[in-house]
Amino acid sequence: MSAQIEYKTEAGWRRWLRRILASEFFVLYLTIAYVLCLSPWIPYFWSMGNLTDILSNTWPLLVIAVGQTFVLIIGGIDLSQTSVLAFASIVGAALICTSLEPYIFSKCVMWGWIVAEDGGILAHSTAGFVLAIAIMLGCGMFVGLLNGISVAAFRMPAFMVTLVTMMMFSAVALYLAGSENIMHLPDEFVLLGDSYDLVSVPMFIAIGVTILAHILLRRSLFGMQVYAVGVNPMASRISGVPVRRVIILAFVISGLCAAIGSILYTARFEMGRPTLGATMLMDVVGANVIGGVSLSGGKGKILWAVFGVLFFVILANTLNFLNLSFYTIDLVKGVVIFGAATLDVVRGRIAQAS
Amino acid sequence: MDDTPIFQCNGVGKAFFGVKALDNVDIELRRGRVLGLIGENGAGKSTLMNVIGGFFPQDSGEMFLDGKPYRPEGTLAATKAGIGFIHQELNLFPNLAIAENMFIDDFPKRGPLIDRREMARRTTGVLKALGMDFPPWLKVERLMPGERQMVEIARVLASDARIIIFDEPTTSLTAKETEKLFVLIGQLKEEGRAIVYISHILGDVEKLCDDLVILRDGGITAAGRCGEFCVERMVASMIGRDIGSIYPPKTNKPGGEVALSVKNLSQSGIVSNISLDLKKGEILGIFGLMGSGRTELMRMIFGVDDYESGAVTVDRVPIRRSNPRDAIDKGMAFVTENRRDEGFLQSYPIVDNIGLVYMRDFIHPLTRLVDRKRVAGESVRIAGELKIKYASVDRQAVKSLSGGNQQKVALGKWLVKRPKALILDEPTRGIDVGAKYEVYNIINDLAAGGSGVMVVSSELGELMGIADRIVAMNRGEIIQVFARGEFDEEAIMRAAFRIHEDGMRIGSAS
Amino acid sequence: MKCLAKTVLAALFVCCLAAGASAGEKLRIAFLFQDLETEFWVAGHQAITETLRGQGIEVIEFNSNQDANRQLEQLRSAINQRVDGIMVIPHDGNVAVTMGKLANRANIPYGVFNRPPSSKDIQAVVVVADNRTIAAAAVEYMCEEALKLGRKFTPAIVVGDLADPNAVERRNGFYDAVNNPKYKDLWIDKPIEIMSKWDANVLTQNFQSAMQANPDIDFLFTSSDFLIPNIKAVLAPLGKWEKVGHPKHVIFGGLDGDKTACGQIEEGYLDSTGVQDVFAEAEMLMNALVAAIQKGDTKPNEWLYDPGFALTHGNFGDRCQDMWGCKLMFEERGK
Repeated sequence: MSAQIEYKTEAGWRRWLRRILASEFFVLYLTIAYVLCLSPWIPYFWSMGNLTDILSNTWPLLVIAVGQTFVLIIGGIDLSQTSVLAFASIVGAALICTSLEPYIFSKCVMWGWIVAEDGGILAHSTAGFVLAIAIMLGCGMFVGLLNGISVAAFRMPAFMVTLVTMMMFSAVALYLAGSENIMHLPDEFVLLGDSYDLVSVPMFIAIGVTILAHILLRRSLFGMQVYAVGVNPMASRISGVPVRRVIILAFVISGLCAAIGSILYTARFEMGRPTLGATMLMDVVGANVIGGVSLSGGKGKILWAVFGVLFFVILANTLNFLNLSFYTIDLVKGVVIFGAATLDVVRGRIAQAS
Repeated sequence: MDDTPIFQCNGVGKAFFGVKALDNVDIELRRGRVLGLIGENGAGKSTLMNVIGGFFPQDSGEMFLDGKPYRPEGTLAATKAGIGFIHQELNLFPNLAIAENMFIDDFPKRGPLIDRREMARRTTGVLKALGMDFPPWLKVERLMPGERQMVEIARVLASDARIIIFDEPTTSLTAKETEKLFVLIGQLKEEGRAIVYISHILGDVEKLCDDLVILRDGGITAAGRCGEFCVERMVASMIGRDIGSIYPPKTNKPGGEVALSVKNLSQSGIVSNISLDLKKGEILGIFGLMGSGRTELMRMIFGVDDYESGAVTVDRVPIRRSNPRDAIDKGMAFVTENRRDEGFLQSYPIVDNIGLVYMRDFIHPLTRLVDRKRVAGESVRIAGELKIKYASVDRQAVKSLSGGNQQKVALGKWLVKRPKALILDEPTRGIDVGAKYEVYNIINDLAAGGSGVMVVSSELGELMGIADRIVAMNRGEIIQVFARGEFDEEAIMRAAFRIHEDGMRIGSAS
Repeated sequence: MKCLAKTVLAALFVCCLAAGASAGEKLRIAFLFQDLETEFWVAGHQAITETLRGQGIEVIEFNSNQDANRQLEQLRSAINQRVDGIMVIPHDGNVAVTMGKLANRANIPYGVFNRPPSSKDIQAVVVVADNRTIAAAAVEYMCEEALKLGRKFTPAIVVGDLADPNAVERRNGFYDAVNNPKYKDLWIDKPIEIMSKWDANVLTQNFQSAMQANPDIDFLFTSSDFLIPNIKAVLAPLGKWEKVGHPKHVIFGGLDGDKTACGQIEEGYLDSTGVQDVFAEAEMLMNALVAAIQKGDTKPNEWLYDPGFALTHGNFGDRCQDMWGCKLMFEERGK
């Protein structure tokens, strides 16, 4: 309140600037400002096609980032999400593909019992299709469970644990598929990734997951416990918070979200890829951090992750349009992210001062 | 000694979140004199010192150092100007050596390199002056809390401060160390330094100080020569009213039924074969020295730590080992000794803290969502009952509250539902007289309402004031249990130290 | 404030229109590639961009940095920019198909460079090197050299990863030449196969044991030039790394035509290397694509084969300018 009294003595525009900087919508404002600054140079940005494109690039990344938010809030990090992407992608694609080329796959370990020339064992039936989706989600939850138990029960650092599971399950994906992509996915599945219109299946899935995650985190008992564990695990334990269960669940959610992301990407690619998402980690964690989610735990909102993802996706999109030479593109990206991070620090100071 | 003030502040004011923390405060410091600064927690003592120490600027008023305007840009500027600050909370780096801590903001250099030999020499010198005999390269984490406090003091002395501010320096010191500190303060006076001494221990203030300033709600309520004040007058000025006594009248009546029962609890090396019963409506004091196993025992009973054998029941229902949730579900509550690390979520507001324990009870039966409005309502109710002073229940971080109010939050989160058995470990450590009285009142009211309350304290006087029975512990065993009628300070002390007139060992009692 | 925002938005709108209008004059081709980590791709990238720009075509470059997902997103971006044609060095044959479907749907001519789509369901102009022919050309030259020496030889081939169609084709090309009845009296024994799995370490181990078992190997073909340094490391200690004409010279050929190969031919250690004519390929692809654009054919469907050539010790002076590895090497020297 005293700060507000101070505001009155300030010039109007400064007060306004201050309020923007201190706002939790800051990253969104930043993104909008960025787009406005660049749009004279990128005429196609506002085309319907491109907006659809931006959104369609947003949905899968958003789902994965939202899962990561849970783990970041409990003070952990989940590096293994990228391996879940590949692992679930291969398992799911193998189960439901409608045919496979024997000359490519006859040497792969799944040949003969999971996959054969006429496709995966769950192909060609609706129940099998649903089961395959469930198994994909299960793959993510399994990796999450493994992470969670290692962190919660064996007290291993999340960074270590998930680094190891990341390597392990990336390797499993490559091994299962014999380093090959699995093509020939059924049309019903491909539809799940179909995002060639503004309104699409991935949109409903991603928005659904995001809203659910938001409610879970801000309004449910579990959400309250996630924050409490992130701030102070010991105080939480003494206050009766089932700390281990909360940690395990957070990792399971992270894995589950990665698996949903895997479904969306796999369907969009129309193939299971053993290297899916291998380079996506920085986008997922980066989006959260740019959005304002703290790496040291206890601070973060789903909404922030949404803004962070939007920022990353729009940044990548506009950089595509700028027709920069390949050497400068990563440089520009680095400079922009650095600028955003610096502004975020400045903003943190201002928020603290007022 | 000349009588012109070395330091003055005139009409200093400061507000946080619109709440006035300081209002038009004037003080003067003189060479070779000790100014006692007392007041309840939240009265503005720390705020005033932080303004002087350069942590944040005042909103209004002016300060003068040596007659010249003084506006520190930051803590370093204040240190350079000759103001030394010994903090209430320990600000040392435990992973660094004593010598490194001493010179952390101004390493002696030889050329571009740090002169480690010079550091060692000066550190040894200052430590000697304080009567401490530690090697300068000893890591601070290997020191006891009291010793760490002395290192903090040594650090300020090493910087040649002309004005030295002691903020609650004795909370973690033993009686012997306190004695040493007072001798030291005497020397500092002789050397002509000006000293500010902030403390809740009014006896010490009376003994030590030359001048006195009493703050309440950010303003000065009384000031003058220390000799003009007796402890009663100090208290009256601090809390703005007379309190009949230090302890509220006891209104609780221990019942016959057992609220909490501990049977043959053992954990090798920590406690052995502990059995005790806490009756409904009873206040049971647990007294013991550091290392007597009292805190560890409480943690085992509540299920924070595991134990090897034994059983705990609440209201005759057995409690699972090492499972705080089970203990809570069966009606137990526990306020730990270390409230800063274990008591609450520092960076979160009151609502999130009050709601933490019984959040389940705020879930809407249909939507399964937390009813935050009800949590906020409940928080306001509890904050009101416990007289917590706050600016906002849902926006102000608990860490910005004063110590006493923080403790009330740590306590308040257990009071959403009436606990059957409540364990309080050092509930009044580091909080002021007024807040202490309020905590005693809360304890009494809870017991009067039928809860069993177990209070661990290292202040025997406090237990004698509020407890129905006192259990004396030593090295993991119960030595003797005293009923209220037979409270005898000397006898209880002897039991806690295991000294017996007849030289015989007293067996454990239940 | 609101007023200002409106003005800005209006200005932006005008800019967009203007930019949109001015873009229609020049042919615009999007060029998507995977990365520039290896020499071959640097050369390929250079060949394509130079060829296109040389024709006055605007090239919009997209580097996906080894991320297939990003390449897919970049393709969609390219489609949204309504380019006139798309040229891709895809991550793999499967991605080439997924991207092809999108390009077909958007009615933009689609060309694939070097990595053929794994299915012929899509309409695309595809340029691939004919590995078999190229390998055969290189090995043929080696055989001719061997004939000139008038003695018998112990032949060997370093095989790539046989899961890779390129490796299979190169091996086939080798046998095509060696089994030519013309050379049937050259050989002491059947060719010895040394597996490399496209891995330099695997090769070093296998090659070392092969040389121990058959110390007489004196006719060697490697399925890729990138393994030359490792082969040298094994041969040199045995005293078999000598120039053409030396009695202990191993008749040695490779395939790819990278910088190392160019240097080794120039110095005389390597007899021949099969070269993918990247520059010719780029030109073939561009011509086919531009032709389709000009005809208004939005779904050209055509497979073009690059017969390549063998750069040898004999024709080095004439043809080294056509080999991408040499071009890179000379450019570096020029600096």
